[in-house]
Amino acid sequence: MSVTIEIPSVFGRYSDNKLSFEVEGKTVGEALHALGTQSPGLKKLLLDKEGRLVRNYDVYVNGESAYPHVMTRPVRSGDRLNIVMIIYGG
Amino acid sequence: MLTGKEKEKYDRQMMLYGFGEEGQEKLKRAKVFIAGAGGLGSPVAIYLAAAGVGTLRIADHDTVEMSNLNRQVLHWEKDIGAKKVDSAAAKLRKLNPDIVIETIAGEITGANVSRLVGDSDLIVDAMDSLPARYILNKAALDKGIPFFHGAVYGFEGRVMTVIPGRTACLNCLYHDVKVRKEKFPVIGVTPAVIGCIQATEVIKYLTGMGELLTNRILNYDALRMKFTEFTIKPDPGCTHCGKMLGERRR
Repeated sequence: MSVTIEIPSVFGRYSDNKLSFEVEGKTVGEALHALGTQSPGLKKLLLDKEGRLVRNYDVYVNGESAYPHVMTRPVRSGDRLNIVMIIYGG
Repeated sequence: MLTGKEKEKYDRQMMLYGFGEEGQEKLKRAKVFIAGAGGLGSPVAIYLAAAGVGTLRIADHDTVEMSNLNRQVLHWEKDIGAKKVDSAAAKLRKLNPDIVIETIAGEITGANVSRLVGDSDLIVDAMDSLPARYILNKAALDKGIPFFHGAVYGFEGRVMTVIPGRTACLNCLYHDVKVRKEKFPVIGVTPAVIGCIQATEVIKYLTGMGELLTNRILNYDALRMKFTEFTIKPDPGCTHCGKMLGERRR
């Protein structure tokens, strides 16, 4: 069950500038952990010690927010996940 | 009524289908509250002033610093040490002497926000902190006036428009999340793009033209040169607008 995860360009420093990943998973959580296996830098950035998504980030599945049950949100083959950082600068 | 000078000045935008003298008069009658006179506030204020929005009320508690000048284009080296609102007002009055610029040199807090916004028709969120953005979002909901959100980080930016009681609000997007305020990287072209989109939304709202950026957030990634839209649904459990949404459904 392969899904695509896109990360913001600003995360490129943690992933050798790779911004799009194909990963396996049946839920957003599984997909994020698979992403972490491919990129330890992103794992450290996105997931806390308990393996949960750090609150500074949101995940969108096919353009729709995965909130509130982000990690258990089911995904299907071909889905596109976007990780979005909460920004506040002006 | 528009003066002869105003008809000449705004001729090109009054040519727009659906805009005309009526649209220009709507802009002239409008009072816009701009929260922040920095990276986002600069392009927002410049383009709303140039478009002929009648009153701009600008709030900012900072003074101009050298490190602002890569992006806060209303402020120049000669303004270092000056209050940002004074520096901004001086430029905007020269850009368009036919509009009113009101300034508030103070911090926006939960206690004073209602008074500061006053009878403004809408709020432009050009702040640099999440708590201040939440305060403004709530104030806009309480007053029943639109809220035009924009934010930047590095080469990335984000924009969303909120119509109270009808669309998702800023807190439907962020769910009361708190993040530690840190010095953030940014290059001036990013707030230039985002601020111009915010100003565009304001002009569309005031003139009643087009389709607003509601229930969706527009994400701009300049390094990929890519705009991506994400759907934001009004959250009935939102601590800012959930009650308002519930009342609307009844």
